[in-house]
Parts: sequence; structure tokens; C-alpha cells
Amino acid sequence: MTLTASELSRYHRHLALPELGRAGQERLKNARVVVVGAGGLGSPAALYLAAAGVGTLGLVDCDRVELSNLQRQVLFDTAAVGRLKTEVARERLLALNPEITVIAHTLTLRAENVLEVLRDYDLVLDGTDRLATRYLVNDACVLLGKPLVSAAIHRFEGHAMTYVPGRGPCYRCLFPAAEEGLVASCSEAGVLGVLPGVLGAIQATEAVKIVTGIGEPIVGRLVTYDALELRFVELPVARRADCAVCGEHRTITAPQDTGEVCDSAALSRVRRLTAIALRDLLTSEASGSSGLALIDVREPHEFDTRHLQGARNIPLADLERRLGELEAARMPIFLCRSGRRSLTACAIALRAGIEAPAHLEGGLLAWTAEVDPAFEVAPG
Amino acid sequence: MSCTVRIPSPLRSYTAGAATVAAEGETVEDVLADLERRFAGIRFRMVDEQSRIRRHIRLYVNTVEVTALSQPVAARDTVHVICALSGG
Repeated sequence: MTLTASELSRYHRHLALPELGRAGQERLKNARVVVVGAGGLGSPAALYLAAAGVGTLGLVDCDRVELSNLQRQVLFDTAAVGRLKTEVARERLLALNPEITVIAHTLTLRAENVLEVLRDYDLVLDGTDRLATRYLVNDACVLLGKPLVSAAIHRFEGHAMTYVPGRGPCYRCLFPAAEEGLVASCSEAGVLGVLPGVLGAIQATEAVKIVTGIGEPIVGRLVTYDALELRFVELPVARRADCAVCGEHRTITAPQDTGEVCDSAALSRVRRLTAIALRDLLTSEASGSSGLALIDVREPHEFDTRHLQGARNIPLADLERRLGELEAARMPIFLCRSGRRSLTACAIALRAGIEAPAHLEGGLLAWTAEVDPAFEVAPG
Repeated sequence: MSCTVRIPSPLRSYTAGAATVAAEGETVEDVLADLERRFAGIRFRMVDEQSRIRRHIRLYVNTVEVTALSQPVAARDTVHVICALSGG
């Protein structure tokens, strides 16, 4: 498709760039780009891509606009609160540039629909706020051979990287897996409103470069940004031969849903006890009238091998439905083998309104190492 | 020998909000041990109980990725701790 007279006028400043020119602008017009997540990152990215003349722009989101979104999600205004983000975004983008087509995908990406949604696009921008979706989108892009421009934010810090299948590492090469309970999201930890503006603009820049074939995308280069110090750092990232989705012995050959993770805001409210601190707490408590409740969240067979005196076994998988068994007056201290499941237990407890959950950092393995070498910890 | 460690946003709750801290050590392991002494619990957020770097964490000495905690660190080096972020 060639450019109309009004488009020649609209994109004059692009056409004035010899590196981009008419051929580049026509590539933009013929491009199909999808933005996953119409949030802090997706807002500026979609606005700039619409303004730049990307001919077909897809938006994936299932949420409605909330007042708390407006501090950073510049696609929306106050009158839009309560409306579907995809609908409002479509109106806003078409008002900005009626020459383009905007497709609203009002849905949650899942293993069963991700290939179908992304298949029709040339390029994917990931601005989701769920880690599970990041892996899902990455895996789908690798499987479909689509380039992916990814960014993520937290408080005052952001990351951006571009993944081009066959040319460089993928997101799983960067972070092979997110361990449950240990990865930060920013819904509660907070985020500087203009931070996603910087990262979303980087994503849009990458998209324009890839579509038009100019410049050098950040493939194999992780860009980190610290807003407080206004510092960018670039770090090299290599492909991993053992990557589960793009490595030599692939174990992921189809998209798969993974579980939710808990967030860092929750983690910051967790009391982390070293083994020594726990020992001292237990020693100082009068036996039998303790204000502490030791909850061992390992599987019953692990618990049965050996457990701390006075501990009660509530396996992590059962915790949510058995939270009522915890006595309000007693501070729960969650225990597990390594400290990972107990941290997740703390997040579950916090979500349920328990104020000050604690866990044993490093788990019972740390107890053995630091307090009681004779304490036998069952394999997990 | 003193190096500089860049702390990622999700771990700054351990360092009273500091983005950069000085640390002593001749290897990455030493540096992490020094951090742990001053910011209890931070090491476990980066490496697991088998001393393997967690899979959502990357460590670099300057721009060289750390693949073993025995990797040397020289004075005035910068150790970057990168943590997966999920916010959007």
C-alpha cells in the first residue's frame, strides 16, 4: 500500500529522514503490531505507534480503566474510568490517527488462545504486568518466530530488551524461570508514573526500527534504567544452550499456563527470621503459652520425617482453605525446607489479612546448618 | 578490596533504599557474604541453598555475566545484580 496525500502530510517529519523515508513509512503502514497489556507501558507505546502510522495495531487487555491507572496510563482520561481499556484505547488511537486500523482483543492471554491472537501480527510488544503472561508471550513468539519487544518496570527501575528468534536470546534465556514468591510486581510496591513512559517509548522505538529495518535493535543487550539516578546500563545477554524454549533440547513445544506469583510489596511486609533469630524467639517464649504459631507448609511425608517441636503441618497447597485454623492472636511463622514455600505462604497469609506473617529464611536447611546439625530435613 | 554493588529495585528494602553499596571481597562469593553480614537475608534472595544463582536473578562483574560465584572481583569493579521485574 502506498501513501495517500494526507498521509504524506501527516508523516512529513518521518519522510524528511533519509534513513526512514517513503519506503520506511510504507513499511510502517503495512505493518501489523500487537501490544500486550494496555497499561503503563502499553499506553505510550501504542500512542507512539499509532502516531507513527503503524497500519494495524492490536491491543490485548481484559481490564477496565481504574482511577489509580491514570497516574501513568496516558491512553485514558478520567471520563474513561469503568470502561474497557481496549475500547477506550481504540477510540483514543483512532482519534489520534484515523488512517490506521486498531483491533481490540478484550481477553486474557492463555495457552489455548495465545498463538491464535499473536499469529496475525508481524511484531509483538509485551507490556503486561503478570510474569506468567511474559513467559507465555515469549514462548508463543519463539514458537511462531515473531520478534518480541519486552519491557518491565518496578518502582523507579525498568528493563527493556528485544528478542528476535534465531538472532539472539529469548526472555527465558534472560531469566529461565521466575521462582514463585520471589519476583517483584509493582501493583502494590508502587511505580513512578513517568517511568513506563520512558520504557514504553523505548519499546515503540524498537518496533519502528524493526519494521523499517533501520538502526540496531537491543537484541542480546539488556537495557536497565534507574529513574532516580537517571542512569542507563547495558548488559550483554547470550542465548542459553539449555533454554527450555529456544535451546538445543527444548522441553517447551507448545504454550503453557503457569501459576501466579506473589509480589514484592507483600514480601516487604514479611518478617524474615534467620534460624538463630527463630531459635532465640522460641527459647524466649514460655512453653505452652506461646504467642507464636509454627506452621510447617511442607508435604506430610516431609513433615513426618522430622519437624520442629510444636509445629503444625498445613501443606502449602491447603493453606488458603485452612487459614481459618490460624489463631488471630498468634503470629504465624511459616516453615519449609528451603524458605521458598514459606515465603509464598506469607504472601497468601497477607492477602488474607494476616498482618505480620514471618518465615524462616533459608528454611529448615538453615536450621540444620546454624542451630541443630542433627536435625534431618527430608528431601523436597 | 572494595567494589561497588548495584542493588536492583526489588532488593532495596534490604539496603534501606540504597541503589549502590560498597562491598569487600575478592570473589563474587565474598562480596555476597559481605552483603549478607550487613543486610541480613539479601544473599538468599540472589542465590539458593545450594549456592546457585536464582533463575530470575543475573549477576555481572562490570559487563561480564557471573556463571560461578568463584569469579574474581577486583577493586573498583561494579557488580550488577539484575532481578526480573514483572510490572507493566
